Amino acid sequence: MDKKRNIRNMSVIAHVDHGKSTLTDSLVSKAGIIANARAGETRFTDTRKDEQDRCITIKSTAISMFFELEEKDLVFITNPDQREKGEKGFLINLIDSPGHVDFSSEVTAALRVTDGALVVVDCVSGVCVQTETVLRQAIAERIKPILFMNKMDRALLELQLESEELYQTFQRIVENVNVIIATYNDDGGPMGEVRVDPSKGSVGFGSGLHGWAFTLKQFAEMYADKFKIDLVKLMNRLWGENFFNAKTKKWSKQKDNDNKRSFCMYVLDPIYKVFDAIMNFRKEEIDGLLKKLGVTLKHEDSDKDGKALLKVVMRSWLPAGEALLQMIAIHLPSPVVAQKYRMEMLYEGPQDDEAAIGIKNCDPEAPLMMYVSKMVPTSDKGRFYAFGRVFSGRVVTGQKGRIMGPNYQPGKKEDLYEKTIQRTILMMGRYVEAIEDVPCGNICGLVGVDQFLVKTGTITTFKNAHNMKVMKFSVSPVVRVAVEPKNPADLPKLVEGLKRLAKSDPMVQCINEESGEYIVAGAGELHLEICLKDLEEDHACIPIKKSDPVVSYRETVNEESDQMCLSKSPNKHNRLFMKAQPMPDGLPEDIDEGRVNPRDDFKTRARYLGEKYQYDVTEARKIWCFGPEDTGPNILVDCSKGVQYLNEIKDSVVAGFQWATKEGVMAEENLRGVRFNIYDVTLHTDAIHRGGGQIIPTTRRCLYACLLTAKPRIMEPVYLCEIQCPEVAVGGIYGVLNRRRGHVFEESQVAGTPMFVVKAYLPVNESFGFTADLRSNTGGQAFPQCVFDHWQVLPGDPCEPGTKPYVVVQDTRKRKGLKEGLPDLNQYLDKL
Amino acid sequence: MANFTIDGKICIERELGVVPTNREFEDLISHFDVLKTCKWISDNNYSKVCLQFPDELLNVSAVIFEEIKNKCDVDLYILGDTSYASCCVDAVAAMHVQGDAVIHYGRSCFTKSNIPVFTVLPKKKLNLEASMKTLQNNFGSDEIDKLCLFYDAEFEHCKDEIEKAWYQQYPNSYIAYIALEENRNRFLGRLVRDLNGEVYNSDVLKNCTCIYIGLSGQTLFIYTISIEAKQWFSLNPETLEIVSKTETAWFKRRRYLIEKCKDANVIGILICKLAGDQTKDIINRLKDLCKVNGKKSYIISVGKPNVAKLANFPEIDIYVMVACPENDLYNNRDFYKPIVYPFELKVALNSNRQSYFTNHVTDYDELLPGNKHYCDINEAKETTDVSLITNKIRETKVHSSIESSLELAEKQSMALETIGQNLQERSWKGLEQKLGETEVKKAEEGRKGIPLQYNNEPE
Repeated sequence: MDKKRNIRNMSVIAHVDHGKSTLTDSLVSKAGIIANARAGETRFTDTRKDEQDRCITIKSTAISMFFELEEKDLVFITNPDQREKGEKGFLINLIDSPGHVDFSSEVTAALRVTDGALVVVDCVSGVCVQTETVLRQAIAERIKPILFMNKMDRALLELQLESEELYQTFQRIVENVNVIIATYNDDGGPMGEVRVDPSKGSVGFGSGLHGWAFTLKQFAEMYADKFKIDLVKLMNRLWGENFFNAKTKKWSKQKDNDNKRSFCMYVLDPIYKVFDAIMNFRKEEIDGLLKKLGVTLKHEDSDKDGKALLKVVMRSWLPAGEALLQMIAIHLPSPVVAQKYRMEMLYEGPQDDEAAIGIKNCDPEAPLMMYVSKMVPTSDKGRFYAFGRVFSGRVVTGQKGRIMGPNYQPGKKEDLYEKTIQRTILMMGRYVEAIEDVPCGNICGLVGVDQFLVKTGTITTFKNAHNMKVMKFSVSPVVRVAVEPKNPADLPKLVEGLKRLAKSDPMVQCINEESGEYIVAGAGELHLEICLKDLEEDHACIPIKKSDPVVSYRETVNEESDQMCLSKSPNKHNRLFMKAQPMPDGLPEDIDEGRVNPRDDFKTRARYLGEKYQYDVTEARKIWCFGPEDTGPNILVDCSKGVQYLNEIKDSVVAGFQWATKEGVMAEENLRGVRFNIYDVTLHTDAIHRGGGQIIPTTRRCLYACLLTAKPRIMEPVYLCEIQCPEVAVGGIYGVLNRRRGHVFEESQVAGTPMFVVKAYLPVNESFGFTADLRSNTGGQAFPQCVFDHWQVLPGDPCEPGTKPYVVVQDTRKRKGLKEGLPDLNQYLDKL
Repeated sequence: MANFTIDGKICIERELGVVPTNREFEDLISHFDVLKTCKWISDNNYSKVCLQFPDELLNVSAVIFEEIKNKCDVDLYILGDTSYASCCVDAVAAMHVQGDAVIHYGRSCFTKSNIPVFTVLPKKKLNLEASMKTLQNNFGSDEIDKLCLFYDAEFEHCKDEIEKAWYQQYPNSYIAYIALEENRNRFLGRLVRDLNGEVYNSDVLKNCTCIYIGLSGQTLFIYTISIEAKQWFSLNPETLEIVSKTETAWFKRRRYLIEKCKDANVIGILICKLAGDQTKDIINRLKDLCKVNGKKSYIISVGKPNVAKLANFPEIDIYVMVACPENDLYNNRDFYKPIVYPFELKVALNSNRQSYFTNHVTDYDELLPGNKHYCDINEAKETTDVSLITNKIRETKVHSSIESSLELAEKQSMALETIGQNLQERSWKGLEQKLGETEVKKAEEGRKGIPLQYNNEPE
């Protein structure tokens, strides 16, 4: 563990059902944790019962393994920071992550604590939507990828692809992956070139289920003696447009009539031969081949035949664990290498303070900096291990640390706890192992800090440390259900359960709404289903009633207010004159993404707004605040001139603005994309008559009047939905989407396959039961994947009875226990 | 002069909601129990008596004043514009004139007062026959399910007839009478008795179906939330409609506010009632409760609270209002910060109390030592948990008493820091000079007139 250069922290990422957990088994079995023969079936990292039953990974699972690399392979590691001198052993901390898009938050949490990613692609279905999503995330977090082509057994046995066809498939996948990498990574950037290349050995091929795999390095080693050329050169020759003419004994770049592509000839052909012989039960041929390959069967395996024999033979010839281990050790960065370029992405504080330098150098003697990325439930109900990565210093059992939550600000006391770390542990899939201390560069769990963190946080010993950056998730909790106990008296148990649920999942939100309803919000239907099941069975342990899924809405405006809105304070001595107007397209998203944010320098921000959105620069300099919660996508702009005492009431106006943007006028939903302008203010000359009491409620009334006069609208969340299907099913997809107010904006064929990808926008509200509907309308051939994409105005005027937005507003008001009907402008607008 | 007046248009156009009197004089005397009142005054030999009228009855106050004055030799004062709610006896106003007693007119909430009170209840005619008929159609007999009748205070004057009709139909049932005298079993001004006049305490209602005759309003609402009964129905004697009353949604909202109390760091104890020693007690108990839980509390007295007054204290996270239960401010959503009942704060902060409740305690008297809903304050432990409202960690900080002097010194500096935090977050603190930051300008002519409407308003 102290040999930080020999550590590899990696996650396994892929599209759903591309075989991550199955492949991981090969490594686990190599480490001797599970029996070799059972690898590929156990799915050791799927620790939960429902994961095993459904054959789907739900939670990411970490496992630490130790391997030794052979001397001949060690020479491939050239960077001195990638290997301790004279040390063969490697510690691999692997995190197996879920592939279903609803659980991408688990992937995000896994990526944060690792430096490398094994991207698994099913070579039959190729690069899929989620492959792209996770890869993009990995690159954004500066995680170096390596590629593995899985399910080769299917390509050979089911699809019976010719070797050249198979090569083309591989080639295309490699290309696709590299295109994605190139889109999101700058080759000149700090990570350097991260493209995957089979001829360098950073692409693996094989079958996780059957437990065999290889890289070109394995084959090059077999042939190196024969060709008498250098291993590295040979690897280059084994991929791409390289052809060997057996007659002339010459390599050429073009295909001649009678020579074959080197990859097909030297790599695929032997495999095809083995498959062919075994699957067609040609006994003598098999024996001959085995001898050639140098595989000797164990006694108990000798009477197997068909698939079972194939598995044994391939597994002994090309053991998957070995190939993977080499890929990982050689091509993935050690913490020493990775933290150098990752530090600036990870640390919020100044880039030259002690913590930053400690992270950059991966220095175990520097002050402790650890990021907790998620909470893992323990066998002790209600308690969690805080799981994370030590980036600097070392974490020691019994040490006193500063536990800083995501809302901690240096120098303040909020969200800061100084507590003792009770125990440090290693996570081993289903088991944990206690350990004295963990130096930087490692992934571990902590006992006793879970009470002070909700989901994530930073642990440090450095008094002036800033937070590690919070993770940005690619999905949002837009689907909600209300829960209540079947037996009302169980309510306290439900509340306790919700608190536990909130910790156990990186994404889920458990909210007690103003109306008193308890809401569980998740990324999608499947995510919610799992969360509710956990809540019922593990966290609350009581029977629960749940409502149908609903979405949350946002309020916005369509036009500028049609009149100057005036509201008077209760004492009639202060007057506010304001207007509302919609923000230009893109600005709310810019605020969401933090490209425009309240902490920016106001001059830079004004310039940006002026250039991109044609905002008047002098006005844009006077943005008083963002809201709701000080960061939301609505702004309050001071457009007034020469108003006396205006700075004295700013805090009160801001408070009223926060209030009004949090609870909009139509249905008390959050506002989105509204800019409020203050044009004039009259104030009483005595400070006592223009205090918060006069101004705060008045601001709210005035903002409400502004909204009501600016054509209020309701916004709903929309999924980006990508559906993969064969051509025949495309028609069925259109039908289903039309019925659900979805619209297709892109349809394309996946190159080299008969599969089509249809991209569409689908309102989240219409997505419930979409998957099932789609399957039944396409004969089970279409697989949708939905991710929250944007907010969209629900067409229609919410003030006009009979329209859809009107119904939404009334339903929401009813649910919240508000007065039904429409808000009355006269209540908010005053006359001079 | 222009600086001090505006054109009188606003005053002239202001509409006042006055209900004209069209009652006959004789009628008034019996309607307001003038004779009984006079007897009560002379029997007790009071020399200074205050007449407390709600706003809507002020127009008859002069007539009644005259009548009593004619019949008794007593100093009379009319109390209008009560300090808090007109349903409560305004003992403070009475004290201003050193009155001996108060005659209370209009709706009453029957809470205890430390001054002798004669209550004159409003009177209304009841269509008893039709009401009983409706009841019979809905509740055949009381053999299986016992019933309990709550009649509105307006019908107190005809309680004998009600009693007769009721027991004829439902001999096994109860009536919750209005009780003005102190009694151990009295709750919310009511006393449950059966056919033989035997008194029961409110627990007996748990197995009863309760029926309220009268218009549904705040009184009925308080009964339904605070009296545990099998079911609640209200009978409107005018339309003869029977409605089942449940307040599930209201309870949900209140539980949310209890969570808010747990989240709050600064609590405002809002005093909207002065009469009675029990008010002092409850304030002290609320203060202690906040202290034990490491929360700061401030006592705030602003007369009749309204949105503007309470928004003057933006640092306060939640208000707990000590007031007459017949007060609808608790449910008002216009306030900048929510207002809770003392009971709710106690549920939130006292872990000895059941965190789940199906019945509310609106009358804070009940929460005091010796009463039914009293509960010892539990010493809070230093803990953390997740708030489901903010999704942040919330901490219960308890300041232990055993501390070394050094620690105390540290704590003090921290206390200063936390007090200053709210101020630090404000952009305007009031004392900055901003030298050189403000542009130099020529003096301009400012606004003229009074702030209600300046002479030169912006367009």
